[in-house]
Amino acid sequence: MTDEQPRLGLADSAALALTFFSLGVTLQVLLIDRGASLWNALTATTVIWSATSQFAYLAVRDAGGGDWAAIIAGAVAASRFGILATALVPRLPAGTIRRALASVNAFDPNVAIAVQQRDERSVEREFWRVTAAMFGGWFPGIIVGTLIGNVVGDIDRLGLDAVFPAALLSIIAGLLRTGEGFAAGVAGALICLALIPIAPAGVPIILSMFGVGVGVLCTRRQRGSRP
Amino acid sequence: MTTRAIIALVVAVWGQRLLGGFVVGPVLARRSALAQAVGLIPAAVVMAVIIQLSVADGRTLVVDERLAGMAVAGVLVWRRAPFLAVVLAAALTTAGLRAI
Repeated sequence: MTDEQPRLGLADSAALALTFFSLGVTLQVLLIDRGASLWNALTATTVIWSATSQFAYLAVRDAGGGDWAAIIAGAVAASRFGILATALVPRLPAGTIRRALASVNAFDPNVAIAVQQRDERSVEREFWRVTAAMFGGWFPGIIVGTLIGNVVGDIDRLGLDAVFPAALLSIIAGLLRTGEGFAAGVAGALICLALIPIAPAGVPIILSMFGVGVGVLCTRRQRGSRP
Repeated sequence: MTTRAIIALVVAVWGQRLLGGFVVGPVLARRSALAQAVGLIPAAVVMAVIIQLSVADGRTLVVDERLAGMAVAGVLVWRRAPFLAVVLAAALTTAGLRAI
């Protein structure tokens, strides 16, 4: 096949559903471990629609940061979804409502597969097929996670506190594989490391966005060396 | 999570998606340098969240079992292992070292 239009097969759909199932379970278990009631944990995850933002929010609260610092960190971390939507929406068939519906459901896997289709009908169809597979795992996952949250016990003993950073790393792996994405990621990590001991909780994550400057410089240099 | 946080994050997350799709997307299509810079924000910020979750306890930097779990996860991600394998390996490494 010379010009491939990747489609999600049955096995891929099952793997994707399982991934989102486990992500949903772990997020709910963490929320409940951090003192959320069952109802609060379920409402928060269902309406916020971004596990990344919730992880960022909880990371700042765990570090002793205030509510607003945690909220801003969560909002900055959600920039990923805005950027995914910029790639998706122009490729969809015209129509404000169908475009808005797709844009608020933009996640990494569905956008990645949708934008590789050729015509706008296929973009929309494949977007919703991948979305259906994700939701097929996600909703059962958050329900199971909410229900078992109280019986899991000490989540640190099970190593579940390492699950969240590992999950995030796996989610942004595609971005880190480009030279400039890697440079921006390393710079963001270093900014955060340097600021954690000296800045109020939440501020290191918010200011890490300036790591983007290093990524941009890195691309400029590469272009300069290859005229 | 506080009610205030839930409401604020709903506005931030849903708002950024709509803003990205309907406002920023069309503008960025005309300015590729800006598009590139904006596209790198998640790499920087999510890496910072990973740091906060793996080598910090509050405002102190700590090296503990989580870092070993993250090192294993890092190698697996680099080798393109599936999500579930990455997450399970990180948890098992961290829990295993704590059990010793």
